[in-house]
Amino acid sequence: VAESPSRQVRKPRLGAGQIALEPSSTIDEASEQVRTSYRFSDPALSELPLEQLLDELLVRVQEALAVDTVAILLYDEEANQLVARAAKGIEEEVEQGVRLPIGQGFAGRIAGERVAIFIADVDHADILNPILREKRICSLLGVPLIVEGTLIGVMHVGSLTPRRFGPSDLAVLQLAAARAAPAIERAQLLAALEHEHNVSMVLQRSLLPKRLVDVAGVGVAARYLPAREEVGGDWYDVFELPRGRVGVVIGDVVGHGIAAAALMGRLRTALHSYAIESHGPGRTLELVDRFVQSLSEPAMATAAYAVFDTYTSKISYATAGHLPPIAISGADSRVLEVTPAPPLGAFPYGRCPEHELELASGEMLFLYTDGLVERRGTPLNVGIDALLEAVRDARSPEEACTLALSALVPRDGLRDDVAIVALQNAAVPAELHLRLPAEPKTLAHVRRVLRRWLVARGADEGDVAEVTIAVSEACANAIEHAYSPAPASFELEAFGNNGEITVAVRDEGRWRAPRGTNRGRGLAIMVAAMDDVQIDRTSTGTEVVMRRRLRHT
Amino acid sequence: MSLADIQITLAPHALVARVTGEVDMSNAEEMGATVIAATPTDAQGVVLDLSGVDYLDSAGIYVIYGMRSSLQARGQTLVLVIPPSSPVHDALRLSGAERPGEMVRTVDDALYAIDRSSTAQT
Repeated sequence: VAESPSRQVRKPRLGAGQIALEPSSTIDEASEQVRTSYRFSDPALSELPLEQLLDELLVRVQEALAVDTVAILLYDEEANQLVARAAKGIEEEVEQGVRLPIGQGFAGRIAGERVAIFIADVDHADILNPILREKRICSLLGVPLIVEGTLIGVMHVGSLTPRRFGPSDLAVLQLAAARAAPAIERAQLLAALEHEHNVSMVLQRSLLPKRLVDVAGVGVAARYLPAREEVGGDWYDVFELPRGRVGVVIGDVVGHGIAAAALMGRLRTALHSYAIESHGPGRTLELVDRFVQSLSEPAMATAAYAVFDTYTSKISYATAGHLPPIAISGADSRVLEVTPAPPLGAFPYGRCPEHELELASGEMLFLYTDGLVERRGTPLNVGIDALLEAVRDARSPEEACTLALSALVPRDGLRDDVAIVALQNAAVPAELHLRLPAEPKTLAHVRRVLRRWLVARGADEGDVAEVTIAVSEACANAIEHAYSPAPASFELEAFGNNGEITVAVRDEGRWRAPRGTNRGRGLAIMVAAMDDVQIDRTSTGTEVVMRRRLRHT
Repeated sequence: MSLADIQITLAPHALVARVTGEVDMSNAEEMGATVIAATPTDAQGVVLDLSGVDYLDSAGIYVIYGMRSSLQARGQTLVLVIPPSSPVHDALRLSGAERPGEMVRTVDDALYAIDRSSTAQT
């Protein structure tokens, strides 16, 4: 080892060929120092994102020291390793994702001992990274990057020809390190935050419904808006339930970021699962509360959940720590009554009492999260009243969402994320004129549409059940006739006159003889359920026209 | 959303299949095949509980007849739980079909009927 021992500060465990250097207190040329200093304290550096900042630092160090190679390795705390992040002259380091242990080798020692190390002759030194040898680097000088006592990485420079890095070289490199470290740390933090934000955003998006249900008798629209800076745990969901019912939910997980978005996904699934079990909205929320209580990590959320019955037009709802829903009905629009209940996961055995109301044709239920109406320094009811005014005259769910957001989202963005969902009891037309895909799953849809239409015509339960089965049988025939490979369709028409209803089912398929006793049975049902059944088979298709006088008239 | 659900349990001598929801041409065949496939060969019979069915059409009735034939071929009986004035009862009435199997009001009655028929055989 050729170096003078007097320059060594601490050398208890250094490897072969390594010399720890003490920072020099004097630099020969004052003007050079000022110039170098400016090179690394340039305010423009702090504006750069991490990757660009590192590249810029490399260029400036390379110029200042006239070296062949420069490298920055950042400390990965979890792995307790240095990771090559930027390099000039030894780009392979970064390309190969070199990782070095702390405490061994050239860079590892710099990090472990937190000392500057100079290596005059790489061939005779304790070097772990083979790239340094492969590149035929002769001499190396490296310093730790430290911010407020915390190691964040290592920066080193190298020369392809033998070079004796002196105290002034060390001073320049240390100055560069001192300026660079906080900028790197700041950029790293921002990059991590941005990454978290992006991940939360993707997660949030992937956990919200891709498309809303298409159920006969209801119109729905929903929106989710992330906050200006953070992603939260707001969610909405609309799903079909057995017996012509539709569930609509809105919720808000306490917290932000990935954890909140992940919990939101779990709550959304839990609620949907309990809802399918045919529990009412109050009991469903209570079960989700028990679910949240059973989670290993403390969690809390608010939610409002409503079940709309498309057969009866009744809607039942309950809330858990959530803002009251709004009923949109022109001049009669109002904030709905709720029984205060604790948020999900807040108290053991929280109870969520249900309320019920009838949604008249065209009326809407509007659910929202607090991000829409909460403004710092303004009472909550002011925001809710503003929302009520904004959506009062909406005629469709889409319009309700648009009006709400345009009236209440501030110009400079949202402080909290916002979810809204509107559900409308769609108006029942006086006559049905439908063209439907000739596939078996159409039948359930036909029954839902027809049931609502019959109820609106004043049909009682018996009328509804018998007409529904007769029409469903006629449609099943039309679907069986359509055995062409191309997607086929059929027509359904229904109209009422003086207490008598007429339903026509028309297809363009070829008539098939009833298959076994089955089709005969379908025809028997039509005849038994309706007062009159006419079947007209032609070469272009089949038309079934059925009439029935409604009982109560 | 699936139109119907089938919940299958095993009683000492019988398989009990409880169907809930709606049965039409979109799912009737699957319903029949599922129940038949789940029936152990040593069961005396099958209880098809249709008390929770909101809708059943001719395709469903057709499949029930098919189930009865399949089970009969294996020496097994089919007992249907169909309460009076239920949607399934109404559909059978409208179709004018003969009863596709013994009809009782409750699952207990159905299990009793299967036990009785097996005792009669031995």
